[in-house]
Amino acid sequence: MEDVAKGLGLLLEFENIVLILSGVLIGVLVGALPGLSSPMAIALLIPFTISLDPVAAISMMAALYCAGTFGGSITAILINAPGAPPAVATALDGYPMAKNGEPGRALGLAAVSSVFGGIFSLIIFIFAAPLLAKLALEFGPAEYFGLAVFALSMLASMSGKSSLRNLISGLVGVLIGTIGIHLTTGVERFTFDIPDLEEGIHFVPVLIGLFAVSELFKQSEKLNAVVERIQAKALRLPSLAELKKLKYTILRSSGIGTFIGILPAEGSTVAAIIGYNEARRWSKDKDKFGKGSPEGIAGPEAANNAAAGGAMVPTLALGIPGSGSTALILAALIMHGFRPGPYLISETPEFVYAIFGAMLIANLGFLFIGLIGAKFFSLVAFIPKKLLWPAVFIFSMIGSYSFASSMFDVWVMLTAGLVGYFMDRNGFSAAPLVMGLILGKLVEESFSQSMIIHDNNFFALLESPVVLLFFVLTFLSLSSPFWTKFFSKK
Amino acid sequence: MKNNKTAPSNLGALFNKKDTIIAIVMIAIIAFLWFETTKFEKVPDLFSNNIPPEMFPQILLLIILGMILIIPFEHIFLSKSGKNIDSARSKPVEKSTIGTMIILTAIIASSQLLGAALTIIAVSISLPLYWGERRLKVLISYIIGFPLFVIILFNIILGVHFEPGLLDLLKN
Repeated sequence: MEDVAKGLGLLLEFENIVLILSGVLIGVLVGALPGLSSPMAIALLIPFTISLDPVAAISMMAALYCAGTFGGSITAILINAPGAPPAVATALDGYPMAKNGEPGRALGLAAVSSVFGGIFSLIIFIFAAPLLAKLALEFGPAEYFGLAVFALSMLASMSGKSSLRNLISGLVGVLIGTIGIHLTTGVERFTFDIPDLEEGIHFVPVLIGLFAVSELFKQSEKLNAVVERIQAKALRLPSLAELKKLKYTILRSSGIGTFIGILPAEGSTVAAIIGYNEARRWSKDKDKFGKGSPEGIAGPEAANNAAAGGAMVPTLALGIPGSGSTALILAALIMHGFRPGPYLISETPEFVYAIFGAMLIANLGFLFIGLIGAKFFSLVAFIPKKLLWPAVFIFSMIGSYSFASSMFDVWVMLTAGLVGYFMDRNGFSAAPLVMGLILGKLVEESFSQSMIIHDNNFFALLESPVVLLFFVLTFLSLSSPFWTKFFSKK
Repeated sequence: MKNNKTAPSNLGALFNKKDTIIAIVMIAIIAFLWFETTKFEKVPDLFSNNIPPEMFPQILLLIILGMILIIPFEHIFLSKSGKNIDSARSKPVEKSTIGTMIILTAIIASSQLLGAALTIIAVSISLPLYWGERRLKVLISYIIGFPLFVIILFNIILGVHFEPGLLDLLKN
């Protein structure tokens, strides 16, 4: 309890509250702008928050992450264009409800379900993260290696067209992580006699390039797309009677979302889709789905926001990102000098509780901002792309440059943008690459240490039941397309 | 999409042309990187604890290579689950995208000479104009207002160092 009080004390400074609310505002704005996403905004924010106090910086990003997930539902409901991928399922019933003349009700349902899902997952977070961290404190390098391999295998099931391509992207990310001076031996690897590469490739320009610049290239293909907007005067909160009807849907989806969020590499989008499908499966009014069903909005919204909180559990307790956005938060933690993982919770619990508090404020904050600003946020989607994207590029350039005052990083950003664009065209997602890049160091360090401990005998790793368990989970994860098909046929 | 569900009847249908090209390019990159790993400085076993610096990258390269070999045939499995890997690349890259890439590369290449402020102005002018923005009032206010906002926010308030570039010459 003392740690919780300390954490909240750290958080409740005026500057921190202002930054958290700014994070919420940016998150909702970015979420509401089709094309812009929370990972992109976090990537752009990282270089400018390096000079801030770590609590303020990470809290701001965590708040942005929570709010961005909700922001995407505004445009999903009002213009049938999900501002962020997790809001894809919300559009299925949110837009028809708005078209039926109830846009305020649709927004209200989305906001309340999101808040509930978010708070539910935070309650799980506050109990699960310390427990998981306690367990992980017993882990040696071999167990960490097993865990990292399992996390990498989970990239296969990230949203995207192909599991194989996700895995390749993840491994390429790990490979990029090997560029620079090898820590154990001091040998230069893949530096090609370029001095800037000796320190390795910085995370920030790669993240900005993959998330922001590649999206700019994609947006340049559809500059003249016309969207139809439904006017929403205000957000209308659901009545108590309506909430009573939806309580099981919201509760179920919150549970599903939190569980999926906790799984390494599974994100809010998968949670939202499963939340929607389950809401439909359990509904007494299946026929109303697709025509403006309240359950069709509450289900995915509770699930996608719950996944955001859930994803913070492995990120902070194990140092294994639960999603693309949390991978960026993990990168920010590393840049602030923290070692994400069980030691973060055991040594600086107040820091973790401060992040928890920030996410709680963010969840209440976006409800408030949504209540007063729904009309405004529905308008931001109409900022002309021809003016918005040059601005994004300028922020990207400054963000990449200011991180280390290096033009080389700006070139890395542009290259990452070009590579990201062509990767996307060919079915390779950027998020697994980022997660691989961030996990890379952990994978190599734990692999090397395990090999040294076990005298270069790989099979000796399997003597640890935990490693064995992770390898079995890895096998199950990689073979899931086959056995899920087998069971679905049965 | 027409024949997605039918089994490939000949060797040509077994391979996806674009994926085969991707696989060949990636194999070439892997071969090059493997060759690079052989040039890493040699370290005594005692010093490297029997884990030489090239070991981990080589393991990664081998695993990636194994996966890449499946890529040309992957379309068969994907089409069985109703996914079309060619949907996003069925059309060639738009001219506007290629133009955008060229403009941005040119701007970054000249940014050292231009300096930060002029680079920001160059982006604010060139992209909207290239993308077809012709509303003069909007353009002028954007070209003046946005760079000014960025310079005040980042350079003056946040203290990000902006290279003066050409502006330094003008000052002198």
